[in-house]
Amino acid sequence: MAKHQLHLRDIILLALIGIIFGVIYFAAGFIYNGLTILLTPIGYGPMANDLTMGIWCMAGPLAGFLIRIPGAAFLGEFFGAVVEMLLGDQWGAVNLISGTVQGLGAELGFTFTFYRTYNWLTLLISSLTLTLVTFGWDWFRNGYSHFSGQMLITMLIARFISVFVFSGIIVKLIANMLQRAHLIKQ
Amino acid sequence: MEKILFNNLSFAFDKQPILENINAEFKSGKIHLLTGISGSGKSTLLKLIAGLLPKHGGKITTGTVSISTNGRIGMLFQDPLMQFALDTPRHELEFTLENCQVPSAEIDSRVKNALQFGKVEALANQLISTLSGGQQQRVALSVVMAMQPSILLLDEPFANVDEENRQLILAQLLKINQENHTTIIITDHDLHGYQKLNPLVWQLKNRQISTLSASQRRKVLQDNRSSIKTSLPPATSLSIINFTKLSLKQGDKTLLTPASLALLKNKATLLTGPNGIGKSTLLKAIAKLVKYQGTITYNNQNIQKISPRKYYQQLGLIFQHANDQFLNVTVGEELNLSRKNGHNPYFTSRQIQQALAELDLAGREEQVIYSLSGGQKKKLQILLMLMMGQEVLLFDEPFTGLDQDSLKTVLKLITASRKIYPQTLLIISHQLNGLDEFIDYHLEMNHQQLKYCGGNS
Amino acid sequence: MNPSLKLFLILFLSLELTFTNKLWVNIIVITVCLVLLIHYHFRWQQFCWLIFIPLFPAIAIFTTIVLFSPGHSLFYGLVLFSRLYMYVSLGTIFTFTTNPLALARSLEQNCHLPSKYAYGVLAALNLIPKMKQAVTTIYIAGQMRGVTLHWWSPTLYFKAILVALQWSDQLAQAMESHGFVEGQARTRTINIPITARDWVITSTLIILIQIIVIALP
Repeated sequence: MAKHQLHLRDIILLALIGIIFGVIYFAAGFIYNGLTILLTPIGYGPMANDLTMGIWCMAGPLAGFLIRIPGAAFLGEFFGAVVEMLLGDQWGAVNLISGTVQGLGAELGFTFTFYRTYNWLTLLISSLTLTLVTFGWDWFRNGYSHFSGQMLITMLIARFISVFVFSGIIVKLIANMLQRAHLIKQ
Repeated sequence: MEKILFNNLSFAFDKQPILENINAEFKSGKIHLLTGISGSGKSTLLKLIAGLLPKHGGKITTGTVSISTNGRIGMLFQDPLMQFALDTPRHELEFTLENCQVPSAEIDSRVKNALQFGKVEALANQLISTLSGGQQQRVALSVVMAMQPSILLLDEPFANVDEENRQLILAQLLKINQENHTTIIITDHDLHGYQKLNPLVWQLKNRQISTLSASQRRKVLQDNRSSIKTSLPPATSLSIINFTKLSLKQGDKTLLTPASLALLKNKATLLTGPNGIGKSTLLKAIAKLVKYQGTITYNNQNIQKISPRKYYQQLGLIFQHANDQFLNVTVGEELNLSRKNGHNPYFTSRQIQQALAELDLAGREEQVIYSLSGGQKKKLQILLMLMMGQEVLLFDEPFTGLDQDSLKTVLKLITASRKIYPQTLLIISHQLNGLDEFIDYHLEMNHQQLKYCGGNS
Repeated sequence: MNPSLKLFLILFLSLELTFTNKLWVNIIVITVCLVLLIHYHFRWQQFCWLIFIPLFPAIAIFTTIVLFSPGHSLFYGLVLFSRLYMYVSLGTIFTFTTNPLALARSLEQNCHLPSKYAYGVLAALNLIPKMKQAVTTIYIAGQMRGVTLHWWSPTLYFKAILVALQWSDQLAQAMESHGFVEGQARTRTINIPITARDWVITSTLIILIQIIVIALP
């Protein structure tokens, strides 16, 4: 089969990846709320969002590594949002917007490495693009323009660390296992 | 006129040969039954006919397969749930007819006819995922028949199907064949109930295909399900797992009405019963993988009150699908994990080496597990779980895909280990040959009941 | 209302209101959604959930802006607080009144979304209960080997993706054997049109919102 475009099987796989992360992250929702409660009294409540950002964005980079076709990273992330919406998640259709933003952030990392290199550099770049793109969106969504400069810098750094740990390091560890099992087609 | 012709065909997955030099012509308008142990290449053969292979993987290394038909090719798959794109039977039928470009005006009546054919009108708007395996296969048959195929392929269609639905589907297949002259090819390893279809029987063995003569055919189609002789458990024996008013359900179908019963410590108990009756569900209930009503106790303690970590140190399940058991990538990593965390004293490093040699797994430490053959995976899986040394081991069809020699080796290994380290075993198996010596007691599950059998009863 | 148009409307409103800092329009949108939900017999437990879900992030943003930011602006605190509820109300009204198959058919017919996307995602959706079971099985298989897996364990995802790889192969083959061919024309069981009424509702709502945005703070 021609491999330059996504086929039915790849689409089902991407949607299933979205579902896997949705199923496993059910637990991570509590972490988000817990962090929010902890950080709000010291004025850093919104940082819970930054600290957990990497968790919500794992599907995209992993999909990009697994299916090496332009668009895979975007759809891996985006389908996760679609699935949540179709399941009747309360954030529903609005998730599609965050899904699009996160998907773009993940995809850009692979675009900047021309869909040729798939290594640590790719994940570092995709962590950077994810951090910046999602931060840009949250700037408007969560009214960051009202926050102090110091807080914004702290939040940006927290977000990058989170994204790099979860969507970078853990994704790479998963990808390594898949690679050793010969499940990633070059 | 249809033609299904294999001409000196060889087929391989990742350089692993599955079929070699197959020459066969499946006559059109007939019913063909293709037998062979699991992993012998039956599915591969059907998928080659359906055109799904080599499109979706693998490679034809020699020869050709030529299919000519002026109709469609329909296929029923082994895993009933994995063949539906949509949520309800009606939607799946609509989807299928849309795919086949049936004009909008005709879709409704075709859907109705198809539902009627599979006798699933009452299920039309229910979620497919809540139906039983038998109902799902009837829906699948309806969908396939809506396509009005000229060739119908069925890949181990009855693996999760109860007896009643099996008979119903077999009767419908006979009807299709007689009325529409549809060519039907079925793969199965359990041959009971096929006699009235009067099929041509093919056998796949060692990657080769052969056709059976009329007398051989009569012999294999005879209902000769083997039986096993055991005694009833004595009333005074020590139990380890107890059921009190245990009942099981799948969707809204009752699998087991309240049953109270004990499993005996350090004994091997065989669990048999027709397909789709709920044997696997019972094992999963004991392993806390599915919900149940009533109480299950382990050493007189309610299993719901034992922490998972502790419970699974004492109770292990050999999954039906070997892949579910593994956690790592290579054979060596898996062995190391069981070496590190296991505590079965029988398995000294010398014994492990010997077991590996006998199981024909030696020297494969670097190999990726998922590239092993079905039989090799099964053997590795059993070894890994024996090494763990839980007090109780539940086996869900551990012997499928093993040839006679491998089966003997595996049984010998389990017996030797139990001499040093006795374990309680509960084994689901439809394969009873050679188990006589091995089994102490025999539980039979049927008609929503669970009871010991044997002795003079 | 046509599902695609409804989706477009919801996305349009969410996006517009993200980039306009107005309080009243948020409150009006929330109120209208709630009235509609009552009309569609939304249960009170679902209402509680609707209030609970955005509560923590909404309070966090509110307190941060009102108490800890340089501006200490109560108005912006309220705008952002109500914005999260606006998102959730819009999201809920959409999911509560839209059936996935109808949406897929509408996107296929009205927006010419390739059918492989529409039905590929729907097919995966049916496997959610089975995927939950598969993930539980992985955790338990780990414990039976003396390994405790956590939600951050790479092994957990590796195993789950193995399952997904196998299922996607099986499903794609099964759909193909049910006559599905990528890019091939399909007929329609049900026609999902975009009616004149749909257009009128959509444009009226958009215009109304613009007026509110301009007129009220």
